[in-house]
Amino acid sequence: MTARRRSLVGFALVFLVLLLVPIFAERVDAPGFYLTFMFTAFFWIGQATSWNMLTGYTGYFSFGQGAWFGIGVYTIGILAAKEGWPFLLALPVGGILAAVAGTLLGVVVFRLRRLGGEIFALTTLAIAFVFASLARLFPFIDGGRGIFMTGTPLPEFLGDFRRAMYWLTLVVAAVTVLTAYLIHESRLGWGMFAIRDDEQVAEGLGVPAFRTKMLALVANAFFSGMMGGVWALQIGFITVEDVFNIRVPLFVILMSVLGGMTHWLGPAVGAIIIFTLTDRLNSAGLEDVNLVIIGTLLIVLVLAVREGVYLRLAERWRITVPIFVGAMILFGLTPIGSSVIWDFTFASFVTLLVSLIPTRAEPARIDDDGAERQAA
Amino acid sequence: MPDVLVQAVVSGVLIGGLYAVMSVGISLSWGALKIINLAHFSFILLGAYVTYQLTASLGWDPLLTLAVVIPGGFLAGVAMQVFFEWTKVDEFQSLIISFGIFIIFQSVTRSIWTADFRTIPTDRNPYATASWFVGDIAIQLAPFIAFVAALGIAVGTTYLLTRTYFGKSVRAIAHDPEIARAFGVDHRRVAILLSGLAMAFSAMAGTFIATFQSLSPAVSFAWFGIVFPVVILGGLGNSVGALGAGVLVGVAAGIATALWGPLAAPLVTFLILIAALLFRPEGLFASRSAV
Repeated sequence: MTARRRSLVGFALVFLVLLLVPIFAERVDAPGFYLTFMFTAFFWIGQATSWNMLTGYTGYFSFGQGAWFGIGVYTIGILAAKEGWPFLLALPVGGILAAVAGTLLGVVVFRLRRLGGEIFALTTLAIAFVFASLARLFPFIDGGRGIFMTGTPLPEFLGDFRRAMYWLTLVVAAVTVLTAYLIHESRLGWGMFAIRDDEQVAEGLGVPAFRTKMLALVANAFFSGMMGGVWALQIGFITVEDVFNIRVPLFVILMSVLGGMTHWLGPAVGAIIIFTLTDRLNSAGLEDVNLVIIGTLLIVLVLAVREGVYLRLAERWRITVPIFVGAMILFGLTPIGSSVIWDFTFASFVTLLVSLIPTRAEPARIDDDGAERQAA
Repeated sequence: MPDVLVQAVVSGVLIGGLYAVMSVGISLSWGALKIINLAHFSFILLGAYVTYQLTASLGWDPLLTLAVVIPGGFLAGVAMQVFFEWTKVDEFQSLIISFGIFIIFQSVTRSIWTADFRTIPTDRNPYATASWFVGDIAIQLAPFIAFVAALGIAVGTTYLLTRTYFGKSVRAIAHDPEIARAFGVDHRRVAILLSGLAMAFSAMAGTFIATFQSLSPAVSFAWFGIVFPVVILGGLGNSVGALGAGVLVGVAAGIATALWGPLAAPLVTFLILIAALLFRPEGLFASRSAV
């Protein structure tokens, strides 16, 4: 119980601090791109965490993240930009529509016990393309013309665009992570893990497999759709090609695999690392090699770090936390990193290396709560 | 039946042959080796671009490029299986790893050939425009060649799997790798050869695509929606089934295109996939599955 209280208090503290960042940033006159950097990171944290509720928890591998994200984007595009609904009213509609689509998919593919996880994975791979052709086919969605998002009214109390985006993505990401945590600690979550380990045994022990898998899929679709809706504001001009492509599923897979799919915080950590990496590569003008690096990373990570880096970092927090703080200070004082984001990139990189190198010596033992093994 | 529909059915049957060639490699490697290799899509794409490049800049006949494309695909399949054997991946890891490979190749092809559409110049490509007429119904030469190749692959693979020692080893491995090993089947050798063969089929499909379609790196995404229904409907590892399923999907997509326009085709193929999953997840031709 104390562990749970500690997690919740820590979560609330981090959330409050992050909530106040824009106000603080204005006081010290920080450049606007810091906020942009952070809200893009929140976007990915939300997407990766929502994906993990399905794939990490139940073991059903999904390539369908782009479909839920796209439904969220298009709902805002249609309702808020075309029809003039208030944004905050349209946002939950996007999440609900994505959840409905997830339910329909789940009813088909989870009904049959004969279907293995591979078939589920391949069906989700196809579904984003189906939504893409639906969007192209029907003029009331897109009809191949795209939707201009400019002039979508945002709620007044959120301030200017950057701050509004910051707070919106922060709140959606926080609710997503909190939900992932609560599921992780609940009976529902244990049912999901049991399904991941062995579905037949889980059913034999009384886990309602169909309902549990449906809830995981619906949660994934709902939170992804909500975050997609917020992200629609960031996209100036919505097109089918930009929304229903392979980028979102690719990145959430990579982030979760890197961070660790068994722990609720793994995808968030992976999201921060991967997003920082790609953002720096892009700003260094290496956009072309970006996907090559991402693909290579994915292959290496699947083979090498099967349990994800979050558990490594948490397990060795006595080493990793001081190294990260020390490296941040070092890079902050020296001119090696030209901005705080670069400092952060280098510091994370050093910390990751330190946490990963010793793992080569000992065979990886995987269990759900690696942090507990410290005492043994 | 109006002529438009007859034409749609005829074209659908022919293009179904192409779909079968595209799918048979993935089906074989999934069914027999338990590896879901999305990199097949990369090598379909790469095969197509190699054909494009050799015809456009060196003036080769498009079908002559098969002499390069097929061995190239075979070697790629061999290399990939060596990698998979070395890393000892399971079915899921193979899916994610080959997804990574797919993304890398996607990026590489785009940096070499750009994201623009490329088509073999018509004066270098005698197959694109040639067709026979039966009454008012056109039979295009390029898809017809792909269809004949699909027939050959279906017959040849079935013969190989059912009548030869190699085929028996493949089926033994597909059935139970451990027992097969106990009976002296060299899993590694058989798997590597089969993977090479499967990848050669995929690369070959690329050549056929290049003879009558425009290429861009992004089109490979659209293939997912065609190939997976064909693989699942045809039954894993079943090359004859893949041909039957390819024709079915081709005809359905052709009729949908004739009735509601090209945008409806992906929807229809997806509906077929869902229907296949609901009613025949083991494939339409399960009883005759060779693997």
